[in-house]
Amino acid sequence: MHSLTTNLRLFWDSALLSYVALFRWLRPMQYLASKIFMPLAQILFFSVLGLYAGGPGAVNYYVIGNAMQLTAVNGIYGVTMSIGGDRWEGTLAYLFGTPANRMAMFLGRAFLHLVDGFFGVLLAFGWGVLIFGLDLSAADPAALGLAILISTFSTAGLGLLMGCLSLVTLNVMFINNTVYFLLLIFSGANVPVAVLPNWMQAISFCLPLTRGIAAARLIIRGAGLSEVAPLLIGELVVGAIYALLGYTLFRWFELQAKRRGTLEAF
Amino acid sequence: MSPGTLPSQWRALRAAAVQAFLSNAFDGFIVFTLIVQPLAIALLGLWILRGTGEDFGIYVVVGSGLTGLWSGLLFISGNSITSERWTGTLEMIASVPTPLALIALGKTLANVLQSLLSMIAAYLLASLVLGYPLVVTQPVPFVISIVLMVLAFVSLGMVLAPLFITNPDVQRWQNAIEFPVYILAGFLFPIALLPTWTTPLSFLLSPYWAAVALHETSSGGGDPAVIGGAWLAMIVLSAIYLILSRLLFRTLLQRARRDGTLSLE
Repeated sequence: MHSLTTNLRLFWDSALLSYVALFRWLRPMQYLASKIFMPLAQILFFSVLGLYAGGPGAVNYYVIGNAMQLTAVNGIYGVTMSIGGDRWEGTLAYLFGTPANRMAMFLGRAFLHLVDGFFGVLLAFGWGVLIFGLDLSAADPAALGLAILISTFSTAGLGLLMGCLSLVTLNVMFINNTVYFLLLIFSGANVPVAVLPNWMQAISFCLPLTRGIAAARLIIRGAGLSEVAPLLIGELVVGAIYALLGYTLFRWFELQAKRRGTLEAF
Repeated sequence: MSPGTLPSQWRALRAAAVQAFLSNAFDGFIVFTLIVQPLAIALLGLWILRGTGEDFGIYVVVGSGLTGLWSGLLFISGNSITSERWTGTLEMIASVPTPLALIALGKTLANVLQSLLSMIAAYLLASLVLGYPLVVTQPVPFVISIVLMVLAFVSLGMVLAPLFITNPDVQRWQNAIEFPVYILAGFLFPIALLPTWTTPLSFLLSPYWAAVALHETSSGGGDPAVIGGAWLAMIVLSAIYLILSRLLFRTLLQRARRDGTLSLE
């Protein structure tokens, strides 16, 4: 019981402190720019592009796809920076020197980004309703909320894996930026997965968001939770696999770094 | 600047440009900004805009190339002085006889020329990899438009660099103003799709006129009035930007000498 309480406290402290440590995000101006206007600009760009290509009837497709994809701002950038920050700021050695439960510590770094990412997607849908008249009247709010939550979780799972890469490479922002844009292409946010070549479809189905975006589109068209359940379960499994891979890599990196004395070697 | 100092100024300009060019070539962030991101946008554009006309391939190549040029200008040229602050070399550069603006000009020129890679990469992707037939309808005016675009982008970069270093709050908006310029400049769609109140904003941006000139000479009707108007607008805006840049550099150095805050954010 004592161990459970300690681990829960560790999980929460890790979640809160690693999020707060990204202090730049918490400056109101920085937050406004990164989390309010940047997402709006991305939705506007792709939606107007869709408007140009397919007329007013095509816009909703891009609004929904990009609103959901924006969870990657937290899931990829936020989570990666929370994990990689320990190496950049020189606290990794202290972290690995503690007896703290690694799983609680590791997953804690994604938790508040999950919450923040969830509200980020809600806000993006709000932009869609306000600017493009996205009609959510047929959507089951609980099902849509669940689809957003699961997609945010799965993207954060990929972020945890990417965060571990930030412990072994200097070019993590290159990788992050590339993954963010690959998600725009492969996840079905802007191009239907069905029209992609087979090899690209294979990649799409291994990525987070693909099933979540498909589920959100169905829910907004009126589908119930039972109809999209297979997609959401698939999305959940994909996220869990990435998180597990990330945790495994995290432990392996700790082991190697301690064995070779390369904890802070760049 | 006296005529006697011109050779040394030219050497300094060239050295700053070469140094910036070489260091950029090995920077992962810059490779992403100039090649990976424009290619991703080109791929998306080619898929989304297929069926909008026979010339959509070259339209997307030019438009996505322009996105790379703008992103490069915003993040690389915009940080050309700020990056010196980060590496602790700003005080030295500001105290040498060569004007700080000249060093920034050399770096910005190198960055903008390097950013042309975005358009070349998008061209190679669309033409060689995806097999789209790409024809520039008016090659000579197109090349003139490219030259004027370089002038216009360099001038704008010379505004961004001192603006960002003197106003960190403005720089925090760097990420947020990337896509709005893609939109307002009409890189991949006509600005007629936007609300009319945004049109004056587009007119104030030289990237918009660059897009007008390049699209008109590559996939448009080649209307001489449209092309000439865009060229004139780029020249006039470049002159305005350079005057503004001069004022900003003067403010930057005056403030730095008065407050002693050159290396402080």
